[in-house]
Amino acid sequence: MENIETKLREEAKRLLLEKKADVIIGYEKGTLPLTATPCFITIPEEADKLVWNDLCTQNLAKFVHDLITAHKNSQKRVKPEDRKKKVIGIVARGCTTRSLIIHLQERQYARDEIYIIGVPCTGYVDGKGLKVAISGADIVEGSIDGGQIKLKTSDGDKSVALKDVLSDSCKTCRFNNPIISDVMVGQNAPAMNHDSEYNEVNEFEKKSVEERFAYFTKEMEKCMRCNACRQACPSCYCPTCFVEQSQPQWVGIGENKTDTQVFQFMRLYHMVGRCVDCGSCVAVCPMGVDLRKFLKKIDKDGWELFGNRAGSSMEDMPPLGKYDEHHDKEEFIFNP
Amino acid sequence: MEKRLIKKDALAGIAKKMAGDFLVWAPVKKEDNILFEPLQKDAEPFFAYLNSKNAPKNVFFPHTETLIKYTRTEKGMVFSEDENKAKDAVLFGVRSCDAHSFALLDMLFDQEKYKDGYYIAKRQKTTVISLACVKPPYASCFCTSVDGEPVSSEGADILLTDIGSDYLVEFVTPKGEKLTKYFGDTKADAASETRKTEIVAKAKDAIKSKIPAHEVKPILDKNFDNPFWATIHGKCLACGTCTYLCPTCHCFDISDEVKGSDGVRLRSWDSCMFPMFTKETSGHNPRTSQKERWRQRTMHKFKYYVDNFNAIACVGCGRCVMSCPVNIDIRKIVEDISKL
Repeated sequence: MENIETKLREEAKRLLLEKKADVIIGYEKGTLPLTATPCFITIPEEADKLVWNDLCTQNLAKFVHDLITAHKNSQKRVKPEDRKKKVIGIVARGCTTRSLIIHLQERQYARDEIYIIGVPCTGYVDGKGLKVAISGADIVEGSIDGGQIKLKTSDGDKSVALKDVLSDSCKTCRFNNPIISDVMVGQNAPAMNHDSEYNEVNEFEKKSVEERFAYFTKEMEKCMRCNACRQACPSCYCPTCFVEQSQPQWVGIGENKTDTQVFQFMRLYHMVGRCVDCGSCVAVCPMGVDLRKFLKKIDKDGWELFGNRAGSSMEDMPPLGKYDEHHDKEEFIFNP
Repeated sequence: MEKRLIKKDALAGIAKKMAGDFLVWAPVKKEDNILFEPLQKDAEPFFAYLNSKNAPKNVFFPHTETLIKYTRTEKGMVFSEDENKAKDAVLFGVRSCDAHSFALLDMLFDQEKYKDGYYIAKRQKTTVISLACVKPPYASCFCTSVDGEPVSSEGADILLTDIGSDYLVEFVTPKGEKLTKYFGDTKADAASETRKTEIVAKAKDAIKSKIPAHEVKPILDKNFDNPFWATIHGKCLACGTCTYLCPTCHCFDISDEVKGSDGVRLRSWDSCMFPMFTKETSGHNPRTSQKERWRQRTMHKFKYYVDNFNAIACVGCGRCVMSCPVNIDIRKIVEDISKL
């Protein structure tokens, strides 16, 4: 990891010095123990802040979309010949590159507007899961060494195996190495346990409709409508979310059970062929809503019905983004 | 002031007994979260907690609240009050920082100029029982920097302090004294009070995280346009986690929801972090980006509230610090401002 970190910093410095990128989006050390947080490097000297470790959680593709959109808006009133191009450098692991692919397939920006620094990934720590593993104690200090997380907590010293507290998305990740990149830092990481990626969904599918709905209801009752899931999601980039539209108003503003369910399932269905299972929505949720169960079902359907895994290649267009007679299963589309 | 002693294991029983008589809000363990919720029959309150996930402000200032109901008729609008009238209630076991937040919210919702009937009704009917932090729960707690203390009766009607084998029960206000019958009849002795004094000092010393909260006010007065404001928000997701979990954040929105002839007017939490915040009907928003929103959040807590009420609108609970998905740390922001 340290070796990758050194190379990553060198690469970021080089890109900024050679003006191949205007900004590098990466991770830096956080202010709380055992955390890393997104950062934006614009001057080469700051590249030494960059870290790459098991604590880098967020899918940074979200920020690529934000920055490019903001830049394009700022250029709107500039004469076409005077418009500046901005290149966003991004530290990207497998899932991040999948999100970038989705952005590119959905023509949100051009390939040459981004510079991808690919990094191998062995998964990130699920912060909430780690808390549960230490019975909710407060983490005062922590370090990761040889697959063990060593902690000084309000409840005394503790040790937790890293593999036990990886995010669920990471444990069964199929694409932990970058799918596309402009430069790769470090060797590809070994595969994760992707054969069991649908185990939980398979179990869930066996339940009755009533049981599944009861689970959905229970999970959605935790939601406090802070929108963190939507805000963290690289695929949630609508300029105005349907939740905030008022003419017509699709969803009530308050903490109404049905409104919350509508918000969540509409968001879930907007993820068909667009969810890369990066786990960011789950990681940011302050209340611990199990969004992944439903997203993974959508992912499974996308694979089984349309042979598509979101953002798994530039060529493989998402099922709702392609229309041709060779792929549409339903005959009525062409012979109504 | 009436002071008594109760055995430590008696606490849950007292909360449950009260719950038989009126609405009791208590910390409850729900899966991995500790939340303040109405204590249901047969439910166990969970007092061995560090602090709750959500701030208990929702007891007085719920996420969503019906202000009025109305029906359109041929004779015009017919209004009806919401049937959810404030009931006698007890908020059992809040931390000192959260009790402090009620004193701060009172300044706004119950001031000379404006009286918020909805808030005041619930506040008056609710007795607040604080469970002091004899051992500060988190390394990120910073109550002592924002006029708070881990063991404090500010905002509380009854204060419970763990003094070893017993809880020292102090009935701080007349409202608190009305509940003495639930706390047995063992009078507190001088020794237990001495013990408490020691504990208070020790707990205060144990708060290691400090911020220059008072120092930043004069700096904020002069730095509305400082380039510093462009350095906080880059990674902000614009979610409402910090403001929704905050014990003192109190911005709200009022909206009407109408179905056919029936309508309700709702008040619900708003958040300065939302892009919709202060967006006007015309489509214009005076706060054009997350930069202005972050300035608003910081200014509101450390300048505007001080201007208006001579108090900092932060109690140092650290919820926003711990729950921010991208680790935007208000402690660092205040620290950075102090160096401007």
